[in-house]
Amino acid sequence: MNIRLKNLEKKFYKKPVLNIENLEFTKGLTCIMGSNGSGKSTLLNIISGNLNYENGQVLYNDKPFTKDIYSSMTLVEQKPYMLSRSVYDNVAYPLRIRRYTNREVHTKVEEILQNLQITELKKNRGDELSGGEIQKVALARALVFSPKLLMLDESTSNMDKKSLENVERIIRNYAQMGNTVLFVTHDLNQAKSLTENIVNLQEV
Amino acid sequence: MDYIANGFLKALNLIVSMDMELYKIIALSIFVSVSGTLISALFSIPLAIFLGLRNFYLKKVYTRLLYTFMSTPSVLVGLLVALFLSRRGPFGWMQLMYTPAAMIIAQFVLVTPLMTGLVFNIVNKRGKLIEKTGRLLGARGIDLLILIIRELKVEITMALLTSFSRAISEVGAVMIVGGNIKGHTRVITTSIVMFNSMGDYEIAIALGLILLLISLLMNSILYGFKGDRQ
Repeated sequence: MNIRLKNLEKKFYKKPVLNIENLEFTKGLTCIMGSNGSGKSTLLNIISGNLNYENGQVLYNDKPFTKDIYSSMTLVEQKPYMLSRSVYDNVAYPLRIRRYTNREVHTKVEEILQNLQITELKKNRGDELSGGEIQKVALARALVFSPKLLMLDESTSNMDKKSLENVERIIRNYAQMGNTVLFVTHDLNQAKSLTENIVNLQEV
Repeated sequence: MDYIANGFLKALNLIVSMDMELYKIIALSIFVSVSGTLISALFSIPLAIFLGLRNFYLKKVYTRLLYTFMSTPSVLVGLLVALFLSRRGPFGWMQLMYTPAAMIIAQFVLVTPLMTGLVFNIVNKRGKLIEKTGRLLGARGIDLLILIIRELKVEITMALLTSFSRAISEVGAVMIVGGNIKGHTRVITTSIVMFNSMGDYEIAIALGLILLLISLLMNSILYGFKGDRQ
């Protein structure tokens, strides 16, 4: 999915927080960097349809926001909210609302839990996990329904080194499969190791 | 002092003696309060979720009004409902005055602002985060509503139980619109008032104990839920 931003302007209480003249994200992995307050999270929230903007345009494959686009993208935040049910049910949730059969749900959930090496957590309650575990489960919950556009807002900040390597490999593979991945990070080394496409947002 | 101790003894005897009049009063009380609370829940919960999640013009004014109505005296609610249901009122043709239906309507009016306010408060605090998570995962419409209710089920149940407690313990509204008619609209609270004024303390104490028992049961459920969450 291609995302094109044209003359995008966002203000909070009349103070401009984002001003993008022209920016395009194409298929593959793009890292977004910038100092605190440069509008990285705001940008992802606008693209995901969670935040309105004052001026400009956001186009998805050259089309405005529609229901189909909405259900084929997701955003994982730094501190994701875990539903008060088991890890398995958290990950299964996006599939259940898309009316997948129980067998399909089971297969997909088990597969993604195994990929992210969190199978042993599947019976734990989502709201009783550590910060790093929450981030891994949130990533599994996002990847399970194969969104065309995956946005990650500092979604690996609490992970240990071993988990991080595995997650980075999964994200790279996912982008290579023809999906668009926007990855917000403060870590330049991480960004460089992930991709050559790095966008640096400047504070307005 | 003896009459109090004797009253308690006779009351306990009355409770275990399967006195039909007593059980009829208890059954009607529970029926009226459960009905009023549940009908109110059907209306209040979706409304509170909608209002809690949306930002709209005059939301602050609405919130203040809601909090004011939460503490409306029950006699005032009874009076208002009676004005509408009485023979000369706009709904007089329905002939609901002095019936259990009128009592349910009064309790519905009484607990609706309370339940709406309690759920509104919860949704205002946590609901937006749940809504955002649901939307990011692709939920819309009814799926989103179910998700929010399911995530807030403990708090919503607590709001339901608090509203039920308010309904079953109030006396003013049901007295006005029900009339405390024996075997027809007589409930625990109106009976206590009546038996006390008649000097029939045994049955008044028995009913008081039953009311206390129901409150204890409600509180146990409520704290059971809280405990589960902690």
